[in-house]
Amino acid sequence: MNTQSLGHIFIDSLLINNFVLSVFLGICPFIGCSNKLSTAWRMGVSVIFVITVSSVLAFGTNLMLVALGAEYLRIITYIVIIASTVQLVEMFIKKTSPALFRALGIYLPLITTNCAVLGVALFQTAREYNFAQSLVFAIASSAGFALALILMSIIRERLELSDIPDTARGTALVLMLAGTLSLAFMGFAGMGAG
Amino acid sequence: MPHDHGQPAPSPAENMEAFLDGLWKQNPVFVQVLGTCPTLAITNSVSNAVAMGLATLFVLVCSNALVSAVRKLVPKQVRIATYILIIATFVTIVDYLIKAISVAVYKALGPFIALIVVNCIILGRAEAYASKNPVGKSILDGLGMGIGFFIALFSLGSVREILGAGTFLGFPLFGPNYQPWVLFLLPPGGFFTLAIWLMVFAAWKDRKKRREVKTMAEAA
Amino acid sequence: MSAANLPQPAASDSVRMIRLMGSVSLICGLLIVGTHIGTMEPIRRNQEFITKETVSALLPGVDKQAVYSLVNGDLQPGAQPNVPVLYAGFDKQGALIGVVIETSERGYADTIKAMYAYSPDLQAITGFQVMELKETPGLGDKITKDPAFLDNFKKLDVTAGPDGKPAHPVVTVKHGTKKNPWEVDAISGATISSRAVGRMLAKSTATMLPLVRKNLDRIRKGN
Repeated sequence: MNTQSLGHIFIDSLLINNFVLSVFLGICPFIGCSNKLSTAWRMGVSVIFVITVSSVLAFGTNLMLVALGAEYLRIITYIVIIASTVQLVEMFIKKTSPALFRALGIYLPLITTNCAVLGVALFQTAREYNFAQSLVFAIASSAGFALALILMSIIRERLELSDIPDTARGTALVLMLAGTLSLAFMGFAGMGAG
Repeated sequence: MPHDHGQPAPSPAENMEAFLDGLWKQNPVFVQVLGTCPTLAITNSVSNAVAMGLATLFVLVCSNALVSAVRKLVPKQVRIATYILIIATFVTIVDYLIKAISVAVYKALGPFIALIVVNCIILGRAEAYASKNPVGKSILDGLGMGIGFFIALFSLGSVREILGAGTFLGFPLFGPNYQPWVLFLLPPGGFFTLAIWLMVFAAWKDRKKRREVKTMAEAA
Repeated sequence: MSAANLPQPAASDSVRMIRLMGSVSLICGLLIVGTHIGTMEPIRRNQEFITKETVSALLPGVDKQAVYSLVNGDLQPGAQPNVPVLYAGFDKQGALIGVVIETSERGYADTIKAMYAYSPDLQAITGFQVMELKETPGLGDKITKDPAFLDNFKKLDVTAGPDGKPAHPVVTVKHGTKKNPWEVDAISGATISSRAVGRMLAKSTATMLPLVRKNLDRIRKGN
């Protein structure tokens, strides 16, 4: 049972507890796919898609597991659901929108290893969200992931031609920038707390 | 340890190398930059870092052992699915064990225990090492990588707890007048600390390379 | 190597795959179920221990405890999942010392979960303990240990009004301006977390205290 309002969940998971900058989920694709804006937004859109679908499926599965008293199978079933969701979403996009498929093509399979997807499924169960809450949570937190990814890619494009010390090149620099972004996002904390 | 047919028994030196590689030269966090999510999320205190490090070590060693034991039976097409199934099993086991040992630790780590499943170090070792090597060596590789991951979590956790709270494992270090640098306990501090460690490693590697070039030049 | 590398008829190949996946799943399933059954008892004991400890800390002198659940506005003995739970504590003579109630409220960073003790004799909150929080370390987490702040809950007035709810709802006031016994003096620098504590107590006392009072005789008798 969880009584948080939908608006509150939305702001909370989009900004205050941003998945990348505050909860530390999906750091690998955040580092790997943030060097170009065009890559970043495509990855972001794919993740929003997959997380939303897998969240709905995980919600249904959890109901079934609880009814059967088989909560101990949760981790295994969730990971299977995510792997198949990625596959399903890939097939669905291929059928309905070939243009979108060409744009997202190589990013979809990468999402299976994105811990944000499993994170959404696990957090919505741990917090005992109902269906509407889960859905809002999934959309907002995946949009938060996309937002962080896009912001980072804009910063990295600007830094392309700057002179950076050798030791700080690559991942270390991205982490420094992420820390600064995370500091900025801390300013959102306290919103909705009155 | 089951005897492996068809392959010569690995020499002690080889075993040692399988073990030591993960600790330093191929350290999963500082050198390969894998498993960054738990590295950042769970290192705001030394005790959390230790618990997470041990849990991951357990899963890594067990899954490496089982993956290696079944490696000749698994057809190529379903190998990833099989590995994930094996990993998820051991993660579930560790999840229950931690809950049974200490509720406080379980609450501190939260869903991050379950998220060990998607820690790329574990699937990475299953695919890159355990699926090609005998059980004994795979266990050593798991131990080496696991301890390497543990060292990384421990060094991040120490820096963050000492600077951010002025304590180590909960014991105050600097007396009552120390004003803790709270930022290091907060999410930005995680990013900054890992960035600094990566730079230290990069600088160390850079120096080593320069020294090698110098000795080569002197020799010639 | 084995037959895996040789070209095989598709049918036997998939049979092999299914058989293998089946046996791997079987082993994994057995391992999980074994651990689940093996750890069930220690996990239950651990959780019981923590709530027992908290109730004893909040109600000094407690000897026996009873658990009630709030189901559809009514008190029922025993703990039930997904409903608010309250714990009654009795001393050695079997007299009711007070009840401990769980509550939660959104704080600065995330939801704060806490338990508080209510004494029907004093009509006051007599203790408060945070169970879970992720507030800013060094600032918001003072609500768990700041002695001056915790002094607020040694005797926080919640005397019933005509409708059974507290006549003066609990409210958090700015640091140093506490005048009335139902006010909580905020921690300076942790105002948002302090206010969350005030809100969670006001909300919880408004719904739970009328119920406790209605069922007080039953709770006193311990059934």
